[in-house]
Amino acid sequence: MIDASDDELVARVALGDEAACRLLVDRHLTRMLALARRMLGSHADAEEVAQEVFLRVWTHASRWEPGRAQFSTWLHRVATNLCLDRLRRHTTDDIDSIPEPQSDGPTPLEELERQDLARRVDLALQGLPARQRAAVTLTHYQGLSNIEAAEILNVSVEAVESLLGRARRQLRVALATERDEWLRKTVEYGQ
Amino acid sequence: MSGYVKPWNMANEGRGEAMATDEMTLERLAEIAGAYGASPDLWPAGERQAAQSLLARSAEARALVQEAGELDSLLAMAPAADAPSPELLSRIMAARPRAATGRILSHQARRASLWQSIARIVWPYGSAAFPAGALAASIMLGIGFGAALPSGVTAEGLSSLGLAPVQSASASTGTAGEQLVSFALAENEYPEDWKK
Repeated sequence: MIDASDDELVARVALGDEAACRLLVDRHLTRMLALARRMLGSHADAEEVAQEVFLRVWTHASRWEPGRAQFSTWLHRVATNLCLDRLRRHTTDDIDSIPEPQSDGPTPLEELERQDLARRVDLALQGLPARQRAAVTLTHYQGLSNIEAAEILNVSVEAVESLLGRARRQLRVALATERDEWLRKTVEYGQ
Repeated sequence: MSGYVKPWNMANEGRGEAMATDEMTLERLAEIAGAYGASPDLWPAGERQAAQSLLARSAEARALVQEAGELDSLLAMAPAADAPSPELLSRIMAARPRAATGRILSHQARRASLWQSIARIVWPYGSAAFPAGALAASIMLGIGFGAALPSGVTAEGLSSLGLAPVQSASASTGTAGEQLVSFALAENEYPEDWKK
């Protein structure tokens, strides 16, 4: 079963095969959680979206048509749309809601600085308009092609490139200070 | 950048998988790196080879891509998602489809639907539970009284028990059991149905 394709697993899921359900979750949950976390900036919200994604898989498994679409692309589409819906309902991004990085006990200065930089990059990402953020998340973080991203966002390939170009221009401006810091640290720490 | 000619038609699918081109300009490479970053793996497949060829022969092209790579490095520092919690895994697995349960439920649903259809034909005024309950209670009451009363009790005898005999077709026909059943049925909310 471990070598079974996603399509085969979905067919077994429709029959109530617990092992197939578990394997499908093992294969895709982490990536769906990562996508939702990048989009929403909150682990708790990301878990809710990931759960909803799999509830839809369970519900629609019997109607899945193998070969019509790639299952992982369909999953990304469902997760992206759920995230965009949530962002639409909460139009003003609450920057303060993004949690501070946790630090247990004494932390070396370098690690504190890295965490601070990570938080500022996260803030810059959360400051992007929702669809630009989705395009960056799908291509840069999820590693999908421009064609897959276009399919998921239901736009042309050219539109994806435009979203990405605008997103990265905004990020470059928002992270100008961080970029200088990062370059300085790269020299200092010899990274 | 004078004399620049776009190597692709905006309307075609040249940025996709299908079409490859050997032509690449610094301006187009700047657009690609500006949108997709410095990793050729993320560049449009149809233009990847041409872009890498330009990269190999142009220091200016390499500078463009290096600048995009600095932003990539910053983006890579964004916090990664935590691992899925055990509670999330439990919730997802608890909601999974269960074949056997599904069959039993659908069988039960079909049986319920059949009985509901029959009940709707017999009693089209809403829930059939009320008249069914009333009928059962009436019959039990009738049987109870029938067993308790001595034989030979007539309609006149009922008066002595504080029960007003009902003027119905069956009341005039004879036995106390029939009278009591008739009496019980006449207590129904819709007596007109029973007096015909």
